[in-house]
Amino acid sequence: MTRKTSISLLAAVAAAGLAFAGSARADGSLSIYAWADSISPDMVAKFEKETGIKVTVDAFSSNEDLLTKLQAGSSGYDIVTPSQHFVKIMVDSGLLEDIGASSLPSFERILPDWQKQWWDPTGNYSVPLAFGNAGFTVNRDLYKGPVDSWKVYFEPSDELKGKIASLAQPDEVIPAAENYLGIPYCSEDPQEMKKVLDLLQAQKPFVAAYSSDNIENRVGSGEVAAHFWWDGNTMRLRRNDHANVEYAMPKEGLVGWLDSYAVPKGAANLDNAKKFIDFMTQLDNATEQYNYYGHSSPIKVDPAKALYNKENAPELFPTVPVKMGQACSPAAQELVTKVWTQLLQ
Amino acid sequence: MNAEARNARWNVLGLLPAQLIMLATLIVPVGIIVLVSFSTRGPYGGFDYVFTTAPYRQILFNEGWTGELEFNPQYLIVVARTMILAAATTFICLLLSFPVAYFISLQKATAKMLLIYLVTLPFWVSMIVRVYSWIIILGNDGVIAKTLHALGLVDNMGSLLFTDTAMLIGLVYSYIPLMILPIFASIEKLDPALVEASHDLYGSRLTTLRRVILPLCRPGMMAGSILVFVPCLGAVLEPILLGGGKTMMMGNLIQLQFGAARNWPLGAAISIVLMAAVLVFLVWRGLRAIRRERAEAAA
Repeated sequence: MTRKTSISLLAAVAAAGLAFAGSARADGSLSIYAWADSISPDMVAKFEKETGIKVTVDAFSSNEDLLTKLQAGSSGYDIVTPSQHFVKIMVDSGLLEDIGASSLPSFERILPDWQKQWWDPTGNYSVPLAFGNAGFTVNRDLYKGPVDSWKVYFEPSDELKGKIASLAQPDEVIPAAENYLGIPYCSEDPQEMKKVLDLLQAQKPFVAAYSSDNIENRVGSGEVAAHFWWDGNTMRLRRNDHANVEYAMPKEGLVGWLDSYAVPKGAANLDNAKKFIDFMTQLDNATEQYNYYGHSSPIKVDPAKALYNKENAPELFPTVPVKMGQACSPAAQELVTKVWTQLLQ
Repeated sequence: MNAEARNARWNVLGLLPAQLIMLATLIVPVGIIVLVSFSTRGPYGGFDYVFTTAPYRQILFNEGWTGELEFNPQYLIVVARTMILAAATTFICLLLSFPVAYFISLQKATAKMLLIYLVTLPFWVSMIVRVYSWIIILGNDGVIAKTLHALGLVDNMGSLLFTDTAMLIGLVYSYIPLMILPIFASIEKLDPALVEASHDLYGSRLTTLRRVILPLCRPGMMAGSILVFVPCLGAVLEPILLGGGKTMMMGNLIQLQFGAARNWPLGAAISIVLMAAVLVFLVWRGLRAIRRERAEAAA
């Protein structure tokens, strides 16, 4: 037993040593904290080859995770990719570096619709990476009915009862419910938010899981028949894995998002971060990235090389309104939390 | 300086590194959590060092939907549910572990080493991977469903995944080695002569188990129960991955406060309450054990 203990202790010490070695920063390095599988590995490899800069990419799976990490301080990351409402929160909280993005060459490559939006009015803190929306996806082997309204998802018919799944975080589910009920995002009216809670509570007995991990398997394999999900992910599952899935177009509106490259305050490799952002926004590279990620590109891409169009990727071209997610005031966020806590209490 | 004083000094100096490590990695972080739990929440998460007891009040009282402050047991429900789940896990682990540990202790030396090694084997694989594997086992197309179907036993069983049962299975699976090892250690220390003596005195097998073996293995069972119960209180993975995240456990509640709720002080306050509850329980157990030892020594 003693020997075994000392071996495991050694292993633990070695692992700790590795962890420290990993966080040590050399001149030619860049660490990126991005949505899981969002950055093309081929583009990262190409960037490393062209510049000699060593890139490490870590993944997060919710904006909240990213915000918490930055607030805790010294995250050690040089590039992060928050969604629009979290860009606003991070800029307001002084968590991002002013990289003068609006005077970088990248700025000219951003589609005009996405320049200097409300979350970054000067355009100096962020460069957009991808945009899309949150809705729900159905497995067509299991569900044949219509998918034209959030009613299908929030007030499921017998066919879908016990066969739907939601996300583990309230960030997009509650805005979707608000779209369905015709309530504005980030409402500070407790009565309105009570209606959201009532809707979600009535839906809960029919929800198999509240989980943001492993969604493609859950809906692709038919573990559930409907899942709260994103446009591009559905498209990739359908195209790459030939799953019989369809992305719903609810008439009440989808929940829009846009993720951006941004640099955390005090990042060690600011210049490398700028180099990477510039690299990723160049026409060919942006196109490759678009083809890899499968979410719409807010950066100009080469139409001749882009893989997706209205015919082969209808998910990326919504036919219903898309309402961008907002940055809620603390009072509104409190109500969001209250709804979520009472839902899962 | 006499030898005793020198020994005493060496005791202090010799323990100093361990104590410094404890201070830096345990006491100071807990101190920080206490500090945060008495701080004011920042508007978008984080916290400001402005003293308040509001986080602790929030555990019990909340603004209702109409705006007035009311008693709200929502967090207490989560605490109670977590305690029950942890207790159930501990109990099942105890029931399963004792025969396993006893069986291992009866083997020859090499077989014993091999079996103990097998018990510790899961620790070499990441916890997340191990819990994930249960998704494959319990899911709709999972190993269990397919096997039962192939055998013609069950035609179409509902998915086991995303149920409280699945969560319990995951927890028992994750923590059972922590129960087997201490029980095994205490069975190993058991003097076979005592078992023989019991048989010589016409004790039946059951009586021997009940009056001799179990009481002597008590310390191991206690240690194992604590090792299983305490981490179960903070379990986060199993409720999300196997339970489907439909009901919150303490771990998920704390995570929510630091994440989407952006209420770090409340998250810290709940952590402190959880820690305090565990500490009170352990101190109570400890005191009882000491008292029993003294009583036995006196007898």
